[in-house]
Amino acid sequence: MEETCKILFQPENEYIVVKKGENLLKAAMAADVHINASCGGAGSCGKCRVVIETGEVERDPSPKLTEADIAQGYALACRATIQTDLTVGIPIESQIGDKRIFARKEPVPVAGHILSAEEWQERLPKWDLSPSTQKVHLTLDSPSLDDNTSDAERVKRGLSVNAGMRDVVVDFPVLQRLPNMLRQSGWDVTVTVLDSGEELRAVRIEQGDTTARQSAIAIDVGTTTISAELLDLKTGTVTAKASDYNAQVAFGEDVITRIIYATKGTGLAKLQSVVVGTIWNLIKNLVETADIEYCNVTHIVVAGNTTMMHLLLGLNPKYIREEPYIPSGTFFPWVKASDLGLRIAAGVYLYALPCVSSYVGGDITAGILGSGIFNTDKLTLYIDIGTNGEMVLGNKDWLLSCSCSAGPAFEGGGVKHGMRATRGAIEQVRINKGNFEPMILTVENKRPIGVCGSGLIDCLSEMFLSGVINEKGKINLDLPTNRVRATEGASEYVLVGAEDSATRRDIVITEVDIDNLMRAKAAVYAGIQILVHSMDLEMEFIEELLIAGAFGRYLDIEKAVTIGLLPDIGFDKIKFVGNGSLLGAHLSCLSKELLVKAQEIARQMTYLELSANPGFMDHYISALFFPHTNLEDFPSVAAKLAEVRAMQSAMRAQDAGNGVIA
Amino acid sequence: MSFSLPTESAKGRVREIELGIGDKKVKVGGENVLPFHLWEGEMPNRPIIAAEVYDEVIDEWPAALTQALEGVINDPVAWAKKAQDEWGVDAIALMLRSTDPKATDASADSAAETVAKVEAAVSIPVIVYGTEDLEKDAEVLKTVATKAEGKNLLMGPAKEDNHKTIGAAAIGYKQSVAAMTPIDVNLAKQLNILLTNLGMEADKLIIDPTTGALGYGLEYTYSVMERLKIAGLFQDDSMTQMPLMGNVGFQAWKTKEAKSSAEDYPEWGDPVKRGIIWETLTGVALMMAGADILILRHPESMRLVKKLIEALSA
Repeated sequence: MEETCKILFQPENEYIVVKKGENLLKAAMAADVHINASCGGAGSCGKCRVVIETGEVERDPSPKLTEADIAQGYALACRATIQTDLTVGIPIESQIGDKRIFARKEPVPVAGHILSAEEWQERLPKWDLSPSTQKVHLTLDSPSLDDNTSDAERVKRGLSVNAGMRDVVVDFPVLQRLPNMLRQSGWDVTVTVLDSGEELRAVRIEQGDTTARQSAIAIDVGTTTISAELLDLKTGTVTAKASDYNAQVAFGEDVITRIIYATKGTGLAKLQSVVVGTIWNLIKNLVETADIEYCNVTHIVVAGNTTMMHLLLGLNPKYIREEPYIPSGTFFPWVKASDLGLRIAAGVYLYALPCVSSYVGGDITAGILGSGIFNTDKLTLYIDIGTNGEMVLGNKDWLLSCSCSAGPAFEGGGVKHGMRATRGAIEQVRINKGNFEPMILTVENKRPIGVCGSGLIDCLSEMFLSGVINEKGKINLDLPTNRVRATEGASEYVLVGAEDSATRRDIVITEVDIDNLMRAKAAVYAGIQILVHSMDLEMEFIEELLIAGAFGRYLDIEKAVTIGLLPDIGFDKIKFVGNGSLLGAHLSCLSKELLVKAQEIARQMTYLELSANPGFMDHYISALFFPHTNLEDFPSVAAKLAEVRAMQSAMRAQDAGNGVIA
Repeated sequence: MSFSLPTESAKGRVREIELGIGDKKVKVGGENVLPFHLWEGEMPNRPIIAAEVYDEVIDEWPAALTQALEGVINDPVAWAKKAQDEWGVDAIALMLRSTDPKATDASADSAAETVAKVEAAVSIPVIVYGTEDLEKDAEVLKTVATKAEGKNLLMGPAKEDNHKTIGAAAIGYKQSVAAMTPIDVNLAKQLNILLTNLGMEADKLIIDPTTGALGYGLEYTYSVMERLKIAGLFQDDSMTQMPLMGNVGFQAWKTKEAKSSAEDYPEWGDPVKRGIIWETLTGVALMMAGADILILRHPESMRLVKKLIEALSA
């Protein structure tokens, strides 16, 4: 079991139990204890000084901490690693003159969790390790005048007798190699047979017995990121993982600009070769990491949105973009990897998981497969929040999907200081409800460069709760803090001053940023409402809400509910899937039954076109409000808001009593 | 067996709101039924009619109007008194056209003075409307509110981008506010939430949902107003339960059909009747959609709408 430490923060008198080795500032954030922190945890601002009253921490050296400080027990919370149980005193300067203490009635809820591999297995029906490709070792009788059947027929007979595979089709390249291969090997060969669901096809022939070495690759082709796994088909285990940016990003950040590029000149061929290039690099990485031969790989399963699948397969995506939004196909045949320009080894076939429509792709099919929604009685809502927000509502009996254009705001696009969740991105934000000072943490505790999706959601939620912005997302310039200011363009809130940022410029959240984020969250929530209302259901009937996408993992559920991105149906109902697309591709790689299941899912899923839905605009406008125009639909937020407002007016009363002029 | 008309009773009720103070007080709203569904509940106050009075008429008005307003068109006090005494309206809607920064750009002080004069001259409540210039309206209405402290004027239009100033002035100097949003149920509700969050009492608010005239988006206006009423009555949504106001005269007399002369369109018939009918039909339609306050411009339109209200109430 992991060692845990109990941390007591004073004077707040807040406890939290964390893993040994956790960063102290992170622990404070989790405990909802405010310590001023401006540099994201880089140790450069020196504002998060705390006193270690009892217990031990490991201090990273910092110029802001002298030997004398250490002797007195001081530490910088952001550069301190928890070693034992602790009592931590927060000195007044780290509270920025805010001496007021307010006891919270409830402990901070731990919102959502990522399901473990075992938990996923429980969600799926029983399945066997039975991949679409199978290696069959054959020792054939050599031909004679009495037994003069052809080489191909002899192999087919062998497959039928030894493996019960009847009517196997011999792929042309295999046939070409057959006469020499059989004789050189002394009639001792391994044949790889692909079961495409429609036919059995001998796709590769090798000398001797190679059945012990068989792998497959599962790939999630995302618009932004491509992730891949190498799977050992004998054990069903993952032997290597890799991911990289989709090199197509250079040709446009979203699917629409890529489609436009693809429809011009040789654009499509260019985009196909670029994505194949990224995939090839990932495969090289996987093969080298796992130290196997390329020829061990017998098949590939990919999942991705409809546009990504078109671009990978070299299909014209033009009509996806134009009304009435028609893709070339939603089901794709097994194709030779080499036909796509992926020269991995002879006879490797690739399968792209089927899509539902132009804007609900194979990544969603895969996610529904992987998360086991097709196998549960529970009414489940599955959301994949990316540039497009796709969502699926249903259970084992029915599935209804839709897609809304959320825009790139949650990925940092269209936001002044937005960025991806890379080093130096602010990923967690708390804002003090009394003095409006922020507390921030960055990826890898580096000086802040910008704000990533989860940081933006944190930020909006905290700005709203603290009253920095109103329900419409407008900044309250009357607040007694110089963190808010009007500029020529839009009003803004200064999250990090120039002196603490890596860019030497203020990092701000502007009203324009807030507007863009508001629109994104409203589109997602309106989509959810349309799904739920189309089935004549109510939000509260949802028994489980699963969040997929890379974004999902870092998302603070409570904050996402506070801004009205997710419905307020109870934090315990909300769980993270992680990369649902990769999970589905992985499972489809290992089991042809599950691959068939994925096909059934795609076939059975109903698609709702939001642009044709008269109610969408109405739901959307009502969602353009924090948390929502109908506050009664967000009871937990209403309660929290009432609590914070009461606390703030108590503070103001206290100030007035002390003769402080607000 | 006798047939009884099926009825639907609402769980909510439109807020009953007072305009003006003391003897001048007039109540609006308070119904728990859709307009004139008197067999299903009650409508304690009939829709009221407010006469549009301009502090300055600079736009070219058709003869139908200039004839009816002869002698008072340049004198808001006389105009208001005539509306009260001769036309029998329930309230005055004083339009501070002179403050438009794109035209005369009169000062907030001078506008506030006009408001004070008109308010003093009549014994019915006064609605004060700016020119929909966000900044100027905020400035003017703040001054108006200050000078008329405690008079409970209905001031507007407060919009999302100037609601803070207007709302704060109304709270501070005890006035009511008409909150205006662009023909959308949700936006109307949102602005009410923002104003109440500011500290405004919900019982001091009127919704101006922005109205279109007959032939110019009336259907859209109609359904938005109807939906606001339904949300307030049947979903008991407290933030849509404010009475609705229709700014009819302003919209109706902008239309080509109301203002074109007989020379331009001889086939359209008598221009005087035409304009009046255009305004009356717009007003009646909005009333049937749920308007609790109708601002009208032509005295004949006022008479016709009033007659209809009486007929519907009989």
